[in-house]
Formats: sequence, C-alpha cells, structure tokens
Amino acid sequence: MKAKEFKPLPAQPAPVSTIGVIPWLRNNLLSSPFNITVTVIIVAALLAIVPDMLDWLIFSANWSGETQAACVKDGACWVFISAWSQQIFYGSYPDGEIWRVNLSLLLLAGVIASSFALPARLRNKVSVPAYLCLPFVCLLILDGSYIGLKEVTTDLWGGFSLNVLIAAASIIIAFPFGFLWALGRQSDMPFARSVSVTCIEFFRGTPILALFFMGSVMLPLFFPANVSVDKLLRVWIILVLFMSAYMAEVFRSGFAAIPKGQYEAADSIGLGYWQKTLLIIFPQVIKVSMPNILATFVMVFKNTVFLLVIAVPEMLQVIMAALSNSNWLGGHAIEGYLFVGFIFWICCFSMSLLATSIEKKLDTSHKN
Amino acid sequence: MKNAASADQQAIQSTNDKDIIVIKDMNKWYGNFHVLKDINLTVKKGERIVVCGPSGSGKSTMIRCINRLEEFQRGSLTVNDVEMIDDVKNIEAIRKEVGMVFQHFNLFPHLSILDNLTLGPIWVQKKPKDEAEAIAMKYLERVKIPDQANKFPGQLSGGQQQRVAIARSLCMSPEIMLFDEPTSALDPEMIKEVLDVMVELADEGMTMICVTHEMGFAKKVADRVIFMDGGEIVEQNTPHEFFDHPETDRLQLFLSQILQH
Repeated sequence: MKAKEFKPLPAQPAPVSTIGVIPWLRNNLLSSPFNITVTVIIVAALLAIVPDMLDWLIFSANWSGETQAACVKDGACWVFISAWSQQIFYGSYPDGEIWRVNLSLLLLAGVIASSFALPARLRNKVSVPAYLCLPFVCLLILDGSYIGLKEVTTDLWGGFSLNVLIAAASIIIAFPFGFLWALGRQSDMPFARSVSVTCIEFFRGTPILALFFMGSVMLPLFFPANVSVDKLLRVWIILVLFMSAYMAEVFRSGFAAIPKGQYEAADSIGLGYWQKTLLIIFPQVIKVSMPNILATFVMVFKNTVFLLVIAVPEMLQVIMAALSNSNWLGGHAIEGYLFVGFIFWICCFSMSLLATSIEKKLDTSHKN
Repeated sequence: MKNAASADQQAIQSTNDKDIIVIKDMNKWYGNFHVLKDINLTVKKGERIVVCGPSGSGKSTMIRCINRLEEFQRGSLTVNDVEMIDDVKNIEAIRKEVGMVFQHFNLFPHLSILDNLTLGPIWVQKKPKDEAEAIAMKYLERVKIPDQANKFPGQLSGGQQQRVAIARSLCMSPEIMLFDEPTSALDPEMIKEVLDVMVELADEGMTMICVTHEMGFAKKVADRVIFMDGGEIVEQNTPHEFFDHPETDRLQLFLSQILQH
C-alpha cells in the first residue's frame, strides 16, 4: 500500500492588528486605565519642560562671539565653550604642535577602524600588534624629543585629547595584563595564583582616587632622591593596574561561562596549554565577556576625569580653570559641565554601539 | 569470564596481535569515592569494543582515563607502548594516537566547520594550511557533509555536529578512537546517521572503544562487549555470548531492563 503523501502547510503572514505603530501604541502605552493615566502625565510633563529647555539650549542661546560680552541673550552662553575650545580639547599643548595630538588621535581611530575593516585572516596578525604598539608610538609622537621633534613636556598635555589617549593607552595595556592575571588566578601554580590574587584584590579593592593620590604623592617617596618618574607616566601605570584588576575579574567570569567540554575537546586533539588558551578559550571568553568589557572601558574612560584631583589638566580640570578665569566670571558652570557631560555621553554611547556591533559580529551561535 | 580470543572468526581476521591499550589494576577515586576498582583491560589493534552499564558505573571515567581527561591514582596504563605517566611528553604522545568523540560534540562554536577540523593538523601536527584543508575535506566527505564546510557549528543539526566531531578526530589520524556516548544527546532520527559513520569506521579496521547504549550497534560491529557496574568490569564477552548467555545475574537484570522496550 502506498503511504499518504505529507505536505507541510505554507507559512502565513501575521495578523495585521498585531504589527505597526498604532497597535504598538495601543498595546504598550494605552493598554489599561492606569497606563493611560501614566502616559498622559508623562506627556504633560514633557510638554512643560522640553520647550523651555530647547529654548535655553538652542533658540535663545548665544552662539557667536569671542568674549563674555557677546553673551547678551537669555539662553546658554556657548561662546564660553568656543572661546576655550582649544584648551578644552588640547590643554596647553603648544599651538604649532597640535597636529601631533591630532595625528595620535587619528592613529587611534585608524587602528580601531582597521580591526573592523581588515579581513579575518589579517586581523589578528596586523591589528593586535598595531594596538599594542599604539600607546608607545603616541607617546613618542606627543613627547617628540626622541624622534627629532620639539619636546613637549607632559605637564603641557591636557584637555579632552588627554582623557581619550590615556584611557585608550590604559585599556590597551590592561587587556593582556588582565587576561594574564585571570589565567594566573585559576592556575594550578601556587606562585602565579597568589601573585594574581594579591594584585587583583589590591587594585580592585582600592578606590581609584586613593590610588591616584598614592601614585602622585606617596610613590615618589619610595623612589631614590635622584630618580623622578613623570607624573603622567605614574598615573598611566596606576590606571593600567586598576583596569587590569577589573578586566581580570571580567575575564574570570568569562572563563566560568566556557563549558568544560571545550577544554576537553582541545585536550583530546592534543593542543598545548597556550594553544588551547589562545585559540579556543580566549575567543569565546571575549565573546561572552563583551558587555562587561565595554562596561569596564566606559568606567575607566569616565574615571579619567578624577585626574583633576592631582592637578592633571584633563578636560574637567580645564573647564574648572576656565570658570575661575577673571574674564569669564559670571556663572557659566552649567554650560561647562553640560558640555563635558555631553562629550562624555557621546563617546560612551559610541563605544556602546561599537560593542553591540562587535557582539553581533562575534555571534556565531545563530540561536534565537 | 571469557576473553577476546574466543571472538568470532571475522573479528580475529581483522585484528592482529599487537596490544595497543593495556590497562592494569587501574583505580581511581573522586575524593573518597572509589569510582574505578581494579580495572584490567587489554585492547588489541583493530579491536572494536563496546562498553555498557548503568549510569555512574564508571564507563565514561574509564575511557576518559585513556587520554588523560581524568587521572587515575593507582595502576598502570600503556597506550601504543607509551606509558601514561605525569609527563607532558608522554601525555602529548598518547593524545596524538587517541581521538575522542563526546556526548555533547564539543565543537568549537567560534570556528567554522573547516577551521574546527584543520585546527589540530595545523597547530599540533604543524601541517601547511592547504594540506590540512585537503585532509579536512576528505574526512568531511567521508562523514557525508562536505557542503557544510563553511558553516558554523550552531547552524548544524545535532547529528551533523556529531559527524563533524568524528571527522575532527579523524583528521589527526589517530590509532584509536574513543566514543563517549556519541548518540545519547541526539534525536532518534539523527542517531542512525552517526551510527552509520561509526559502522563504516569499524569496517575499515579502526581500533574503537565505544561507550554506548545502542545495543544494535554493539551486536553489529563489536568484537567484545564489556559490562561495567559499580566501577568494575563485571563481564566481557563476544556480542553473541554477551546478549544470549549473560553469565552474571547483574548483567541479566541489566539486559532484561534495557531490552524490555
């Protein structure tokens, strides 16, 4: 007897009433009397606040001019920002040498872009060394004395470019350090484990402000009298160590998420410890840790404003100096702090978008 | 207890006399828990062995000791004349000869199928990339999924993943293949495609130790079936004797329970 033929039913489109803008509004904002009330209150509140805010921020704001005298209208005095923009972005870096700061930022952008643009085959071979060299290349360019340019001492470096570059330099160096500490922490070797645990717990358990004070005030006391280590260099080292401790914990949670079977499969193929760690475990750890890695990046980037407490002229420090400048007394604090907040928000949000795209790129699971 | 020498004629022809795995008085403890008790097992080159037993009987642990995914505390193990001792060189030498297939496939999810297969040849055997890829494609064809080479493990069905896992082990050209419940995590429809590959492999004379509950497979290809319970080898025999004339009451009970359905 011939069996009956089985024909799968064709897929049908979803009912119209469940997709689109109006059903969405109905389902999410107006689904019950309580939700309707909440929606009405929120809309009313927004109507009360937003027009005034936009007026102050944009329509009645003072956009052009050079001095405080140009700020005649009621709104925000953005002239304050534009007049100080060079200091805000470059600190006291000499006028004629600012291209060096721009070049460093460009190199940073280039290396980040290259790690996205290059085909997978080249990515590890080119981008990884490029990342690791970048902090030192930038150091040479910005300092200048070793490569035949005019020397610019680190006390002149400053502004937002300093926030960006020192955060990037710390992140880049802390990445491998953190990974090594995380490996050390779960190692069988008592020495490696105790060193890693001590470092991680010390730097993670101490506030970054205390570390900065220690670095700037206490650390020089331990050096011999004739040895002086540059303040910015000390700060960099502290940021690297602080960041490494956090990264190590991020990686540790990543290690915990890798199934034991992955180690066993790598072992059964005969891969050695470092092959197993770098080829099998590391890429998967990065993938599961991506949201936490980003959170740590953002944290360190934002923490760079704490450098102001030890008088490193980063962006916020420049704004505060500008606020107390005798030509600009008159309360531009709101504009200044809003601007700092806005710039940081733009940067952190872009990092967030970048991380999302990396997560998508790394996601090979194709699970729903 | 009979041994493999009384196996049927065909089995004897396909094996030669070299002892490729020799386990002597192997004992293992997890903390205070005695998981393996005086295991003695000799496997000849080309021999196909199926290990079965209730869960917790130590069958997986025993085969995982063979490539040192588990360590044992007492006794000795020799694989292809290399003794398993606490020395990286010996462990590496043994792992080179022993391929393993896991219950949950354990493919590397971040690598394409082809990269999963070429990883070992390239990094362990130091073969050039194109040669490794040629080998990989050869084995993918053997497990009948060459068209999936550029996909990722997550895109494949369980049965396909397990066949990739078998191909991955074969790429290292091992002398011995260990299978740790290779079909236990698969849908019924996919079990056959994996067993077919394993039967083919057995027909080609690969030395195999297979922990499985697929009794049909055991009857079809095994030279010897081993029954374990409570961490010891209770009974071992040719499939014919094993299923038709079990000697111990424990095996009789086990067989009556699994063959009821």
